Amino acid sequence: MRSALFALMLMICSASAATAQNLQPILQSHATEVTNPSRGSVGEALDAITGSGLPQATAFLEQWSEKNIWQRDDGVFFIGVAEDETLALTDVDTRATSTAPKTDFKQLKPNGGVRRLIGTALVQFQLIDPDLTRRETAVASIARRPEAAQLAPLLASIDAETDPALRARKIQLANFLSARFADDPTSRIAAINSLAIDTSVESRAVLNQILTVKSDVTRAQPEGNIAVIHDPMDAPYAYYTTLVDASLAPAKQTAADIKRALEANIVDGRIAGFPLTQMSDPDTRKTAYAALAADGLVPVLITDELRNAALNDHVFYDLYDEPNADITAAAQAALGSVTSRVAAAQVADLTLDALSLASIFFLAAIGLAITFGVMGVINMAHGEFIMMGAYTGYVVQLFVPNYTASLIIALPLAFAVTFGAGVVMERLVIRRLYHRPLETLLATFGISIALQQIAKNIFGTQARPLTSPDWLAGAWVFNDVIQISYIRIAIFVLALMFLGLIIYILKRTRLGLEVRAVTQNPGMASSMGIDPDRINMMTFGLGSGIAGIAGVAIGLYAKVTSEMGSDYIVQSFMTVVVGGVGNVWGTLAGATMIGFGQKGIEWLNPSNTLAAQTYMILFVILFIQFRPKGIVALKGRAAGD
Amino acid sequence: MQNTFIAKNPSVLWFLLGLSLFTVIVSICSEAAGTALISTSFLKTLGKTLCLCLVAVAMDVVWGYCGILSLGHFAFFGIGGYAMGMWLMYDRTKDIVVASLENNILPATMDEITDAIGAQIFGVVGSFDFPLIWAFSHSLTLQLLAVILVPGLLALVFGWLAFRSRVAGVYLSILTQAMTLALSLYFFQNDTGLRGNNGLSGLQNIPGLETVSQATLSLWFFWASAVALAAGYLLFAWMTSGKFGSVVRAIRDNEARVRFLGYHVESYKLCIFTTTAMVAGVAGALYYPQAGIINPAEIAPMASIYLAVWVAIGGRGRLYGAVIGAAVVSLMSSWFTGGSAPDINLGIYVVQWTDWWLMLLGLTFVAVTLFFPKGIGGLFDLIPRKGDRR
Repeated sequence: MRSALFALMLMICSASAATAQNLQPILQSHATEVTNPSRGSVGEALDAITGSGLPQATAFLEQWSEKNIWQRDDGVFFIGVAEDETLALTDVDTRATSTAPKTDFKQLKPNGGVRRLIGTALVQFQLIDPDLTRRETAVASIARRPEAAQLAPLLASIDAETDPALRARKIQLANFLSARFADDPTSRIAAINSLAIDTSVESRAVLNQILTVKSDVTRAQPEGNIAVIHDPMDAPYAYYTTLVDASLAPAKQTAADIKRALEANIVDGRIAGFPLTQMSDPDTRKTAYAALAADGLVPVLITDELRNAALNDHVFYDLYDEPNADITAAAQAALGSVTSRVAAAQVADLTLDALSLASIFFLAAIGLAITFGVMGVINMAHGEFIMMGAYTGYVVQLFVPNYTASLIIALPLAFAVTFGAGVVMERLVIRRLYHRPLETLLATFGISIALQQIAKNIFGTQARPLTSPDWLAGAWVFNDVIQISYIRIAIFVLALMFLGLIIYILKRTRLGLEVRAVTQNPGMASSMGIDPDRINMMTFGLGSGIAGIAGVAIGLYAKVTSEMGSDYIVQSFMTVVVGGVGNVWGTLAGATMIGFGQKGIEWLNPSNTLAAQTYMILFVILFIQFRPKGIVALKGRAAGD
Repeated sequence: MQNTFIAKNPSVLWFLLGLSLFTVIVSICSEAAGTALISTSFLKTLGKTLCLCLVAVAMDVVWGYCGILSLGHFAFFGIGGYAMGMWLMYDRTKDIVVASLENNILPATMDEITDAIGAQIFGVVGSFDFPLIWAFSHSLTLQLLAVILVPGLLALVFGWLAFRSRVAGVYLSILTQAMTLALSLYFFQNDTGLRGNNGLSGLQNIPGLETVSQATLSLWFFWASAVALAAGYLLFAWMTSGKFGSVVRAIRDNEARVRFLGYHVESYKLCIFTTTAMVAGVAGALYYPQAGIINPAEIAPMASIYLAVWVAIGGRGRLYGAVIGAAVVSLMSSWFTGGSAPDINLGIYVVQWTDWWLMLLGLTFVAVTLFFPKGIGGLFDLIPRKGDRR
């Protein structure tokens, strides 16, 4: 009520024309309040100062709240800065500077509560300050600590606001303030209704603040703006605790209490006539306690029946702090609408997350889709190629400090390194093991162990950073619910690019034609003049090279360690198998399914990402039962069997 | 029957002879026998190695004889260890709790004891209630049954699903690996009720045998492991000989042809897969009391692949090959990574085996796969034998 009045007075004062020319006389007429301010008394002085409409009032208030106002022995106020034993003084009106010994002056030290009031009074000046940053600071300070008094100056400042963004922010903030503090219920309800479409955290906080409740319990029928009446039987234990806390019922004895009571009443090695040795039986304990209670030695045991009777005798309810039922109803409705909007936004956010997870799986698996899917070669060292790519990125960053430049160098270099490694591995190992897929699996696994250990020996066991350039830092914020980091967007784009590139290579180039020919019928292909050895080498190199690039991308958001490859290998195989072997579109479908599936399960059980992975794998195992050839199954001759 | 079985499989007799000789020698050298030529910790290592040999034999049967490269048998091994560990941990904690409650004025009720045990065991994961899967942990008999039945059932269901839909070859390997990953992730979770990544610990203390020294206990476990290995070896030698064995090997060589000959291939595969899983469970149940601790990292997919590595290096398709592979590689692993192997000074760089052993193992493995598909066991083919039927 006080603050509302104060706001009103502010309005009137600032509207009336300035009467005084100087600040000093005003200060002198309120000298007691200025020198010795308290939260109760300073209001009058502040009203007088702000009401003067003098330009120097702002500076005075700022200095006052920063404890830079000094009073001379004769009572005149100065703005002063202490330097050792002298003061550099500035006149509050003329801004004439002088120096004087400190001993003649007394510093004014307003306390925190007063300084807050001064700040509030200052806001109305700061809101119309010609400097944009100061206006923004003022608005931000209102947003941090909204108070009823700020509503009027905020509303008054909107019309004059020139900056469109700040103007919008002011309107939004004014809305928040009106919803909570406006005097007139109709305008509050109007403001509350306008919040129904705002999904920001601030708006939800405003609504929740209007809807704050206090839980209470009473024997009689409760009065006031009741939010809800609880059924105590929903959680008898918790509600009985409330009852006990309100001293409306005796505490229910815990097992430990009963035990203590029994122990305190041992007479000649017996409790209520029962020997101690029988006390390992809970029923005997109960009987003994009941006997003690009958003798009045211990309080009567509160059984579940007694407790329920006590609970039913009382009414448990939540009372709104806000007395006006119309306002709380409007806020409730607005919050309901906001909640459903937030839920919809969360679904959208989850979809974005799932999409980004899917593109990570796709990037990790696409190289494998080529070597395993197209060539039929199981490469357990695929994960280590991803790791190699990530370490290549790390090493490049050691030499090229500019992150953007190093990324541009790292991507092709990672491709080159892993392409080379893939070609060497194909020539030395895989070529000898065609048509013995299980042996290929084992041999490549041996290589994967060796590569991991080499990386560990070179780079150590701790994680190495692969820092992303500044333009990839941060997130694209759509609103308070939907946001996605730029790195994930970049990975999504990269995945799309690779999808296009691979489809192009396989379908539109000479190499792709030859790869497909060798895949379907190596004998026929070689009689047509295609060298299957060369094609296999190139294909394997291509698959490995893409793993290297995926490694750089993954390294940007995850830690680079020598074991990072094994985190992706099983998931990647799953992606390829689920999608359907021998088909790039299949890999896309598999990655999408696994990405969305995993995010979906995570959403059902958000605390546990391990569980999401576990159930996703189980799901995949079951899925293979029903579609052994994956989502996109090859048909006819291309299927190869 | 016994005569002909031995006559057909002379290697079984030689193996059993060798194993008994080894057991006797180790027993004589042990601390419990008083000679103390072998330290208790090394005796434990030997006992654990015998368990690894047993699971390797099982792996050899399923892979070398039946052609299913299962990357999940070490998970079955781990499940056996967990089943055993649950009883060990429950009963030992119970002893401790009962002893600590002894000083109470009132004798404790059953509920109080159970609560105290729960708080003791699950305190590390911020819980004190007994999860459902611990329902049988109070009974040694039931947990021993679980050692065999849980891996068996899991293998039965998984195998039935996989074989029924004709998942074979590398697909099956990947699927078993996925199963292993799912299991280890499941065990890693705190709310599974198996103490998350803390695992079960203190398993070397056998409840009821507090008075027996660790030296004697280790010897007992060593004997038990040797007996289990011998029994498992006999079982699998018997399974893989005779008509059943021939069908199993035929499935490995050409599954389609066996199916067309009228055999129900899925049943044979399922039988082999499930039996080997149960034996793996037994091996795990004997291994972890000697190791003292089990945690989910033990059943990570990597462990199952190492199992395949041992069998491949030892020589698959022959049972003694698996034993040799597991024994040689696991003992060498602990020798090299234990820091007792001498460093090699190359002048510019000192090769420290703790860092380079895994690389050597990986490359050896590649070389074995490429050039010596028969493994170490293949060396025995070079010995000319009288009455060689082949």
